[in-house]
Formats: sequence, C-alpha cells, structure tokens
Amino acid sequence: MSKNFYHYPVWLRLWHFSNAVLCLFLIVTGFSMLYSDPDRALVVNFQRAVSVHNVCGVLLTISYTAFLAGNIFTANGRHYLVSLKGLAERLWKQMRFYAWGYFRGEEAPFPVTGERKFNPLQQISYVGVMYFALPMLFVTGWALLFPEFILKKFLGFSGIFLTDQFHVVLGFLVVVFLFIHIYVSTMGKSPLSNFRSIITGWQESH
Amino acid sequence: MILDRRSITVLILLVTASLAGSAQDQDTVKKVSRGAEMSLYAEDNQNNCLVCHGKLVWSLTDTTTGAVRKQLMSEHNIVVPDMFYSSVHWSFNCLDCHSEGFKTFPHPLETRFETSWSCIDCHGNDPNYAQYRFEEIDADYQKSVHYTATEGLISCWKCHDPHYYNPLARQTTGGRDYILRSNEMCLRCHGNSEVMGLINDENVSIVLPKHEWLPNVERHMEAVRCIDCHTRMNDSVLIAHEVMPADSAVQGCAECHSQNSILMGTLYKYAAMESRDEKGFINGVMLRNDSYVIGANRSKFISFTGLLLLGMTIAVALVHTLFRIMIKPKKVVHE
Repeated sequence: MSKNFYHYPVWLRLWHFSNAVLCLFLIVTGFSMLYSDPDRALVVNFQRAVSVHNVCGVLLTISYTAFLAGNIFTANGRHYLVSLKGLAERLWKQMRFYAWGYFRGEEAPFPVTGERKFNPLQQISYVGVMYFALPMLFVTGWALLFPEFILKKFLGFSGIFLTDQFHVVLGFLVVVFLFIHIYVSTMGKSPLSNFRSIITGWQESH
Repeated sequence: MILDRRSITVLILLVTASLAGSAQDQDTVKKVSRGAEMSLYAEDNQNNCLVCHGKLVWSLTDTTTGAVRKQLMSEHNIVVPDMFYSSVHWSFNCLDCHSEGFKTFPHPLETRFETSWSCIDCHGNDPNYAQYRFEEIDADYQKSVHYTATEGLISCWKCHDPHYYNPLARQTTGGRDYILRSNEMCLRCHGNSEVMGLINDENVSIVLPKHEWLPNVERHMEAVRCIDCHTRMNDSVLIAHEVMPADSAVQGCAECHSQNSILMGTLYKYAAMESRDEKGFINGVMLRNDSYVIGANRSKFISFTGLLLLGMTIAVALVHTLFRIMIKPKKVVHE
C-alpha cells in the first residue's frame, strides 16, 4: 500500500504556482522575441513581448527570493543538498529505471520517503536549474536592463552580445528542463497523481 | 547665371534654414515655442548687431561728410535671423555671449581675439542639462584629434554653430536626411581644402578620394555617418565626440556588418540608459524598452541549436510514451 507524505507545504505550492505561471509567460514571450520577424509577430507582438518578458522577469526574481528564503529557513532546503559520494552510480540507476526497469515493473530505486522527496536525477536537475540556470538568467536578464554594467568587450566579443546569447542559451536549457519535468511528472503512480500532489501538498510513494 | 562663392554660401544657409524647418515638423522631442516674437531681446538684437550682421549688405556712414558706403558682410559673420530664432539659443541677447567691446563701432581690435564660450562653459555640471551628458562629451572632445592636433583651435563652434544649433539627432527620426546633414557638418571643413588651411598650411586633399577602398563608396556615404567610423564609440552619449586620427578609423567590414558589433552594443546601451533617465525604470525600461530591436542580437546558430535540442527532447519523450503504451509496466511498484 502506498504511503502519503506531506512534502509540499502551502508556501512551496504558492511559490511553485507563481514560478510555473511566470516561466510559461517568459518562455512564450522569449520565443516571441527570439523568432519574431519585423512583419510578422510570433504569438505576441514584439514590443508587447518585450514588456511582458521584462515584467515577468522582475516578478520571477522576487518569487525566486521567496523560494531561496524558504530553502534557507525551512527544512525544504535539505532536499537540494547533493551528496557527491556515489552520485554517478545513483544517477545511472535512476536513468536505467526510467529507460528499462520502469517497463519491467521493477521497484523504483529511490522511492519517495519522508526524508527523500527527489530521486537523484530530479535532485541534480533541480539544483542545476534553481541554483545555477535561474540565478544566471536573473544576472544576465537584469544586466540587459542595466547595460552600463556589462563589459564593453570580452574576449573580442561585444559584452552585450555575449550576455544576450548566454541568456538565450540558459533560457533554452530551462525550456528543455521544464518539458522533461512535466513529462516525468506523468510517471507517478498514475499519470495525474504528481499533479494532484503539487495542488494538495501530499505526495504518494511509487 | 553665375553665382559667386558668397552667394552660394548664403544660398546654402537659406536651404539649411528650410531643412531645419522641415526637421522641426518631425520633431520627436518636446516642442518649444521659439521665434523672434517670443524673444525679449529680438528688438535689441535687431536694432544693433543684426543691422549689419543680419544680412548680406551693410552700410557704413561717414558722420562728417554724411557719405554712405554699402559693403558685403563676410559670409562667416552673418547670422541669419530666422535660423537664429529657431535655434536652441533663440532667447539670447547677442551680448550675453559676445564681449561688451562689440557695442563700439567700428569694433575694437581686441574683439577679434575674443575667446568663444564652449558648450561646457554654460552647460557643464548643470542638472537641467544632465541628460545630454556635456561633461562626457567634453571629455571625449578633449581626447579627440580635433583638440589634440589643433591645440583646441577646432572648438565646439567649428562643427556646432551656436547661432543655429539644434539637436539634430534628437529631433529627427534618423534616416538619410539626418545622415546627410550630419555628414555635411564634417564636409564643411573636410570637403574643402581651403578651409583646412586653417590648421594646415599644406594643401590638404578633400575627403572623398580617401574612401575609394570602400566597396560601394556612394552607398556608404549615403547610409553611414562619418562619425560612425571616425569616432571612438562611447556608450553613455548619443553622439560620440572622440574623433580619432584618420588611420584609426574603422576599416573592417565586420565591425559594422555583424550582429556582434560594438556599434550595436553601444546603441543598445545608450537607448536603454536614455529611456531609463527619461521615463524611469518601470516605464522606460520594463514596460517600454525601445532599445530591444528585432533580431539585433540574434544568433542563427543558437536559435537553430536550441530548437534542435528541444525537438530531440520531445522526440525522446514521444518514444518513451510509445513504449509506455505498448509495453504496459508489468506491475506498478509501491512501497
């Protein structure tokens, strides 16, 4: 029989919801800005995409500080502490499970427990996104709002060009992460159980 | 009809005046009421200095005999009243800037050695003009070849006649007309070997033959300002003023014809800062940021690779889904 764990307190669910909505807006407007044509808007008009992207970026920074504070001042932060010992082996076990064991009905190698919310793959990707990609997106995004702080030239390239490209590359990585995040969420006890969890706060072990 | 040089100059001034008028129609900055009728000093100027300096022909009266002699005013000493009263300095009395010596006629010799005010003298460190960043413009000018090679002989005035000055770049929406008028400013000296004699006794060749290395010389001249290649870019001011020696000018095609150009970065930085100064962070940067330009910093490689990466991720997920449908997990393991 499956056990339920209260892994998503209210503050975390509120943050996750705002994070998800803002990221979706940022992705749609980001794509609009990147692939717009002067004569043809992609999804939203270029100038509106710029405004919405900027506003959502600023709001996401605020929402991120709430997440950071939550991780510092509550026990939730412990789920983001990666133990490097045997990491490669644990990652391999989890990947093997998704690609093979899952179909053969094997037991999940790192099932959800009261102490463990994330499997090693989730843990490493969440840490990468939350502690590396998003902060770097904030730094590059804010730098583009205050371009006087950007180096004029770096390694022979225009500083603004490099900052912009780095922002776009990180943006793509977050889009890929988000897609995998949503897809893997369908691999819970039932395809919708993980989505229910992030709304109710209770996670079922699978 | 054969026109002498003086007539051509006056004609040029009149054409420029009409161009200035048309530029004001497309004025994108705050409109300011100007004109002789608005000036407190128009009558004073008109009845004194402009009696002679306001037109091509002036007259001299011998107070003893009463004889009158008409003379032509030197083209460099004429102030066209209409152009003056539509310039930024329209509200001034001539003697606000010129020395008291000019009250005496004939003007005493020392007036010939009058030191001209430079822009920074009046506009420096003044919060009202902070947005124009005169201090940075002056610092750039002091480093420019105009200053260093001529010991300051080429002052602000040589390019920006204060009698007719209007902020050209701020008043137009760009385009060929603006480029033409910007380049005219340089060509007044660099297109005239005689004027260049002011700083060089040798016969300095005119400017155009030196650009023959450029592909499509004419198109470059129409579409590019001289200062785009001949000044060192400064992120903080609208128009860079550090004119470099000729051999330091931009000669590489990629410096302009690439998305990774310093010019592109400079324009972005300037537009963002200007917009923030004018409208504040929320309105000028977050909500209405015109410094972003479609495709300006776009890298085709990253746009393509990004989509490819996303496509591959979706493909893997689809294959995985297919397997999930075809090979039903034998049992779902719960703890």
